[in-house]
Amino acid sequence: MTGAIGKPTPYIDAVQKVTGQAMYADDYKFPNMVYVSCLRSTESHAKIKSLELKKAEASPGVIAIVTGKDIPVPFGVLSISRDETAMAIEKVRYQGEIVAAVAAETIEAAEAGVKLINVEYEPLTEFFTPQDSLKTCTPDEQIHAHTKDHKNIHKTAELRFNEPEKELETAKHKQTGEFKFAGVTHGFTEPHSAVAMWNGDETLTIISATQVPHYLQKNLSKVLGLPLHKIQVKKPVLGGGFGGKSDPFPHEMIVSFLSKKIKRPVKCTFSREEVFITHHGRHPTEINMSLSCDAGGKITALDADIIIDGGAYGSFGVVTSYYNGVLLQGPYEINKFGFRTRRTYTNKHQCGAMRGHGAVNPRYAVETLLDMMAHNMKMDPCDLREKNFLSEHSSTVGEFRITSNGIRDCIAAVRKKSDWDSRYGKLPYGHGLGVACGFFISGSALPILWNRYPQTVVHAKLDFDGRIVMFSGASEIGQGSDTLLVQIAAEELGIPMDFVQVEVADTKTTPVDLGSYSSRVTFMVGNAAKTAASNIRNEMVKAISKEKDTTAESLIFRNGRIFTKDKSLDITWEEGVEMAMAGRGAFVESGFYISPKLGGNFKGAGAGLSPSYSFGAFISEVEVNPKTGETNVIKVWGAHDCGKALNPLAVEGQIEGSIHMGLGQTMSEEMRYKNGQQLNANFFDYRIPSSLDTPDMDVTIIESNDPEGPYGAKEAGEGPIHPVLPSIGNAVFDAVGVRMMELPITPDKVLKKIKENV
Amino acid sequence: MEYYHSPDSIKDALSMAREFDGNFIYFAGGTDVQIYRKQKLEKNEHIIDLKSIQDLNSISMKDEVLSLGAMTPLDDIIKSKEIQNYFPLLMEAAKSVATPVIRKTATIGGNLLVRNRCTFYNQSQEWRNGVGSCLRDVGDICQVTGGNNDCYSRNVSDTAAALIALNAEITLINSNEMTQKPLKDIYLPCGIKFHDLDNKNILTQIHVPFRPKKWWYKKLRVRKTLDFTSLTIAATVDNDDMARICLNGVSMAPILIEESLDTLTIESLIKQARKNCKTVDNDLMPLKYRREMINVFLEEWWEYEHHK
Repeated sequence: MTGAIGKPTPYIDAVQKVTGQAMYADDYKFPNMVYVSCLRSTESHAKIKSLELKKAEASPGVIAIVTGKDIPVPFGVLSISRDETAMAIEKVRYQGEIVAAVAAETIEAAEAGVKLINVEYEPLTEFFTPQDSLKTCTPDEQIHAHTKDHKNIHKTAELRFNEPEKELETAKHKQTGEFKFAGVTHGFTEPHSAVAMWNGDETLTIISATQVPHYLQKNLSKVLGLPLHKIQVKKPVLGGGFGGKSDPFPHEMIVSFLSKKIKRPVKCTFSREEVFITHHGRHPTEINMSLSCDAGGKITALDADIIIDGGAYGSFGVVTSYYNGVLLQGPYEINKFGFRTRRTYTNKHQCGAMRGHGAVNPRYAVETLLDMMAHNMKMDPCDLREKNFLSEHSSTVGEFRITSNGIRDCIAAVRKKSDWDSRYGKLPYGHGLGVACGFFISGSALPILWNRYPQTVVHAKLDFDGRIVMFSGASEIGQGSDTLLVQIAAEELGIPMDFVQVEVADTKTTPVDLGSYSSRVTFMVGNAAKTAASNIRNEMVKAISKEKDTTAESLIFRNGRIFTKDKSLDITWEEGVEMAMAGRGAFVESGFYISPKLGGNFKGAGAGLSPSYSFGAFISEVEVNPKTGETNVIKVWGAHDCGKALNPLAVEGQIEGSIHMGLGQTMSEEMRYKNGQQLNANFFDYRIPSSLDTPDMDVTIIESNDPEGPYGAKEAGEGPIHPVLPSIGNAVFDAVGVRMMELPITPDKVLKKIKENV
Repeated sequence: MEYYHSPDSIKDALSMAREFDGNFIYFAGGTDVQIYRKQKLEKNEHIIDLKSIQDLNSISMKDEVLSLGAMTPLDDIIKSKEIQNYFPLLMEAAKSVATPVIRKTATIGGNLLVRNRCTFYNQSQEWRNGVGSCLRDVGDICQVTGGNNDCYSRNVSDTAAALIALNAEITLINSNEMTQKPLKDIYLPCGIKFHDLDNKNILTQIHVPFRPKKWWYKKLRVRKTLDFTSLTIAATVDNDDMARICLNGVSMAPILIEESLDTLTIESLIKQARKNCKTVDNDLMPLKYRREMINVFLEEWWEYEHHK
């Protein structure tokens, strides 16, 4: 690489963000715009007996009020669980569900209108725990009519290979644990916001803080009954997503419907409390897992029974159910493997996808069991793991194709940097080290909605001014995808990055990308962008070699010049552009990415399939005060195999962000409820670690050069979170000898365990 | 802003207080009260901001007595060399409040009179409507205990714990007179009316006459910054071995235990503390653990105090 690839590169949107010039969804204002405020349910599970709107309709400034019956078509990010409507119809399923939406001249008038709506509820039996939801109930009590056997189970996902249960029955070295994880939420800075406009040509434009413009377009089409070609979804600058903006949302349906109805721009921006209510975060999870090894420490079997608490609606839940199991197939070779996940509906805020989707909690469980196993067998926990790593270019029992794999380099790096071999197990009481590993998909190989199209297409345009514009549907959500597009074009064409600009995430002008989820963008969009830019280069080479009578192969594009090795030809980029465009003008080249056919032929084989997987190993160091149970994470060493760091600055940021986010779930974050009502729906009581709580971080980037990734790259945005949590839990064991089977690891739980241990 | 007033003298402030009687609040920094306004827990219309009254923002030492203007920002207290040198307990307590940015605006007077907190009260109006409100708001039961008489919201002032342990006095001014009284006497064991100051009085000065032989301070919270206390203990011992131990965050008012080290035992100290603290499940940290930590903290102080 001679250009921009591989160099630490500040994001192209950094200056506009830090100077306040960046336009987020709520910054957009249009003439005659109206504002929406939502009436939300005060009940967790109840029939709507009556809904009285007259007073609100007469309230000054109120323009229109809509309720569930106005927008009755169900939607959902997965076509198999479209179980949600824009607003509650006939009954509410969680406290905070939208019952009506008031559009008014000002937000104050809309809020005043909301207060004048009278709703009468008839309470139904409430289901707050998955255990309640697993029981049989009356049809009337079912949260959704479509669930089977009169139980509130949304999905059961189960896969078994080679009878692990038989192995576990007789295994000499076996560890079993029951784990419990609180729900956590994304905690992004920018609240959900959307503004919709009904245009003069009978088309809809919506500017929304979304990670998935394409799926929003699809769902809007269904809900509004509008053809796809009449819907334009634009993603403006986005203030964080982490999976929390990867569904189509009720407020997006509401503003779109209203703008069509009243023919004015309509905006809805959530309060922080509404963001917490909207949630879609990590599922509260209970896991019963068993793991066995042979006498040499080779894993022989793994079996897990998992219950996840989905809340009131489906969201990504079917995928989450599978990911809780299938993503246990690495980074260790396990040939006898099985799991069952049951996702229940409960009368709480709905859960969905969040960084490390579905695999974070079971990762904690398996890495804890491995630590228990190592302790029991008197083996070093790093050694035990090293005995079991999957090899490069191998396959898992569920037929995941493993290509590049830098896990051995990862563990070697953190082991050395943390001085593990001379410190683990030897630190004074109250002070400990813990290790854990992980792996994650670099994009799902299958699209959410089945189709025959590529997963992404990128267009590169060259015009007379010498500028390259990269057109991509990819959603920049802070992960650096816009910068990536620029880096790739600059690299392929040998030009400075300031010759390249982007047009992104606009379903009218940019080709389809499926969205920023499942860590797919670097791998898939990166490959497509590389092809598009190299196709521009090919066209230029053709024109230049013809005009200058050189061989196409001899042309080098570097540092803004185009030349032959012997410099017999040496022209500027602009001169090359002029030659390429002579007689044809500006032109566009295209690149796409489509995943190769992967996986087995059994039901559920598609879950977790990816063209490539990232790997990582982390070590954490903690101090535990045995008198108070307070745990202080002092340092985290993280090594992550991202294939090739296209932008090492971004990769480092992703690993550090993963450590911080993982620390939050491990130590202090928790969606707290009482009777379905969240007790901490604000950033004061929902305790995201502060800078003072954040440990020193030592980040190592491992480059295993994936054969199919762009320049060898794989994902780095989600994989690094997985090992963080169990490495802390295992360090607590090394410090004070207690196993933390429940997250978050709050001081009261640690102290209780220490007392029980005495 | 017709509702915002910024008098530059106490006299003007008191005159405005008379004018807007029953429909105003004082701002002594406002970092906390603003949230009450947003959550519609504070519905009074007018704000009388005391920040422009110059006399109230000062740190001075005279005859070994520290005097603080009530509007002195916590950040100034932390950075004051005199306080660092002679009243490190106060410095530690101020430093444990909120965050560096908030401490630039939040004041010592504001922190001493910070409103009591409860998980079921400090919520948005929509939230409170959902749960059916509570005694301290517009409801008729306590959401924590289910009772219909008493509110147990917690006093969460860290600096109150420190200043009571330091035997501080305060000056109050109303239109007729200036009075001085021990800080501890203003707090009331009630979650609804948690101090006896009315709006006709302005807290102007805090006086700390006492430089203890030894001091100790500890605050329990989930994060190392920002969080209100789940338990704060400040303790001092004077030259006559008289100990003043003040607990806060675990009852409606700060709890002071004052006894000579000659007679005090750790058992009796814990017994008195546990008896006097009306600790209920109104904090996100579990009740059992908070009660347990009263013992642990006191034992830690005891060890510190008796460590040769």
